[in-house]
Formats: sequence, structure tokens, C-alpha cells
Amino acid sequence: MTAPLAIEGVPIGGGGRRDAVPLTVTVPAHQAVALLGDEDSGLGRLGGYALGLEPPPAGHVTVFDTIIADLPERERLAVRRRVGYLPAGEGLLQNLSLRDNVALPLRFGSEASPREIEGRVNVMLVAARVTAAAGLRPAQATEEERRRAAFARALAFDPALLILEQPFDGLTARTSAELLELARGGETAEGARRTILITGHELPPGLHHRVERVFRVTRAGALELEAV
Amino acid sequence: MSDPISRLGGSTARRLSRLGALARFGFGALRSLGTLPAAGRAVALRVTLNQIRFTAADAVGLVVLLSGILSFLVISQAVRELGQLGATDFIGTLIVVAIVRELGPLITALTVAGRSGTAIAAELATNRVLGEVRALEAMGIDPRQYLVLPRFVGSLVSVFVLLVVFDLVAVGAGFAAARFNGMVAGRYFEIVLQSLALKDVWLTVAKAVTFGLIVGLVPAYFGLAVRGAPTEIPVATSRATVTSIVGIFLCSALFVVIA
Repeated sequence: MTAPLAIEGVPIGGGGRRDAVPLTVTVPAHQAVALLGDEDSGLGRLGGYALGLEPPPAGHVTVFDTIIADLPERERLAVRRRVGYLPAGEGLLQNLSLRDNVALPLRFGSEASPREIEGRVNVMLVAARVTAAAGLRPAQATEEERRRAAFARALAFDPALLILEQPFDGLTARTSAELLELARGGETAEGARRTILITGHELPPGLHHRVERVFRVTRAGALELEAV
Repeated sequence: MSDPISRLGGSTARRLSRLGALARFGFGALRSLGTLPAAGRAVALRVTLNQIRFTAADAVGLVVLLSGILSFLVISQAVRELGQLGATDFIGTLIVVAIVRELGPLITALTVAGRSGTAIAAELATNRVLGEVRALEAMGIDPRQYLVLPRFVGSLVSVFVLLVVFDLVAVGAGFAAARFNGMVAGRYFEIVLQSLALKDVWLTVAKAVTFGLIVGLVPAYFGLAVRGAPTEIPVATSRATVTSIVGIFLCSALFVVIA
């Protein structure tokens, strides 16, 4: 079985220069893989490369054996709906309530009826434990509430693959652990129900044992496997 | 010798290329309507109505004021001056051709471009800078469906509605001015209706649609063209406004030529 997400020969350090050390890593199905690095490691660009939002300077990133950027526009949008994405800074729309933010991908990306969408949104808000703040706009909510809503939105389509950028920054270890469990979506015989790529600077203490592999990108751009 | 010519050619090519990009952007936005799911249509409709409220309903007072003052001043002066020459019948032509057909669409479009076009450009540029547009794309949502289409349709409807308001107020204020300067009420409406032709109606509608297209599309295009720095927001807003104004004047001139 091929990996749901594979990064092959993509230079990410040195501001994404073509001559930077190329990164090659696969995220096997049912595993959570963390790539950690400094602010200037270039890891923040990986999500964009994977979803075809911008082309990598070299190499390629495949998602479900597909290079999304190579697809025609409509198919590109359709494949992206199979991937849950939590961008750094959440990317919530400021003029919508947290509830409407969670509902947005379902409203624009599915043929579900308003009743079905409402039901799914309620389920996600309860799962992310953000129901009480659902009526707030992002600017009125706390950082934790915003992050919970962003997780709920990323999981709205119940995707098999999740890409999380700096998902635990600014959160307590307990909240981080809770959200990681939500992202894993339960356990199967093979491992987590979902495949997860986490990028960021650090993993909060206590989360390492719930992430199958943790890599650190060195200053030189090389990838080192950390003991888990 | 060739430098100024090549510079002129380069600049013209860039402008034509931008015009092409703008046309593609507009067609893309319209085409995205076809793939909008039912729930998305409901959201887009809500955003459109909100846009109409801000662009048309909230601007009615301003348009009434501008139209009323302009028409009252022009017709007051005209009744006095033309009355001395015994040519008050030309007031009808003045109202229909100068105000209803030419100045009405122009002033309405400039008002909407200045008031709502800037807001659209700034809002979409802020969406881009805050990473919201990227987040929409990453979720598999076409940003044109959620951000562009409602503003585009909202502007189109708003310019049309405001133009009708402008013209009605202009005729009413013209009547007040004529009465104020001693003209008989029936006479005023008689000469205005005599001057009104079917051509004036379709020209006004055509202008409303054209200017609505400009005011809806140009600011959205420039707003979304921002790459990510907050300093680009005022630049995009300024470019959108200037381009809209130039576009409105150029199209207005074009209408004079073809009609």
C-alpha cells in the first residue's frame, strides 16, 4: 500500500532555494508523523506544496498518489476536500462565527442538505468541545477556542489524511493531547484511523508517545529521526 | 528612437494583458456559479444580499442628495437662461440626455466605485493577507464562489437600483426647480416625456450593466491580486479605485461613440 503522503526531493530550507538540501519523507497510512524544525526551516511551506497551493522549487509531493498541482482546477479542489488542513494561524474567516467557519467547507464542498450539514457541524463542535463558543467570531474567541474550531473545520469531511501546521503552539499539554486524539480519530488494527502530518517547532511534552515518528530538520536541512 | 516606442508598446501590452486577465477573472467567477452546491448557493445569496444592503440601501441617501442637488442646480439655471431665449423646451433634452442618460450613470457608478469598490478591494486584500483565501483554497472551496461572485452580483444589482433612484430623483428635483422658477407643472412633464426615447432607456440599462461589471470585478481582481504583505492593501485599493474610475469614463465615452 502506498503512503497517503510522500515528499520526494523537495528543498525546503534556505528560503526554498533549489540548491537547499532536498527533503524526502513519507507518511505511512494510519501513522502520525511530525516534522519539527526552526522558524526558518521551511517546513511551513510543505502544506502548500502538498495541497498544490504553490509548486515546490524541485521534487514533488504526492497525496494519495496524486500531484495535486498537476490536476485541472475542479479536480484539484475535489482532491483537497479529501485532506484535512489546519494552517498555521488557523485561517479562520474573521467575518464568520466559529460555527459558520466549520460549516463553510461542507456548504461549498458537498451536496449535503442544510439539515445534514447542521448535524455534522454540531457533531464536530461537540467533538472539538467548542459548542459554547460556536456563536463567537474568531476575534472574540480565545486562542484555544479558535484552535478547536480550526480542528473541527479540518475534520469536517472526516478526511483520511490530515496536514497540521503548528497545531499545538500556545496550547496547554492537556489540550494538545486532547486535540491530537481528536485528529487521530480513534484506533484501528493498523494504527490511527487517520494519517497525520504535523509540522512545527516542537511537540508538547507527553505527545511523543502518540506520534509514531518524529523527525527534526537540522539547520543544514538534513532530516534526523528522534527517538520516540 | 526605438526606446520610447518600445516602452509605449510594452506599456500597452501590459495593459492589454491585464485587461485579458480581468476578463478571464470575470468569466471564471461567472462559470463558478455552475458548480455551486445548493447549500453554497444559500450562503452566496446571503452574502450577496448583504452586499446589496451595503452598496445600494446604505448609499440611497447619498445618491438622492447628489442627484437632487445636481438636477435642481442645472434645471434652475437652465429655466432662467433658456427662458430669456424662449427655449424652455430644451429643458427636456437637458434632463433626459445630460442628466438621466449621461451624468446619472456616471455619477452613480463613481459613487459606488468610491464607496463600495474601495471596501471590496480592501476587504478581499485583507482576506488574502490574513491567509483566509489560502485556507479556502486548501479546503477545496473556490474563492471566487464565496468571495467574488456575491460582490460581483451585488454590485451589478446595486448600480442598477441606484441608477433608477438617481434618475427618478433627478426628474423630481428638476420638476421642483422648474416650478420654483415659474414653470407650469404639466408643461415640465410634457417636455420631459417628449424628449424621452426608447434609446435612452436601453442606453441607461446598458450603462448600468457595464458600470456594475466594472465596479464589481475590478476591485475584486485587485484585492485578490495582493500576494501577502499588509502594505499592499492600500496600494491594491488605490489601484482598484483608479482603474475603476478610468474604466467607467472610458466606457462612458465609448457609449457616446457607439450610440
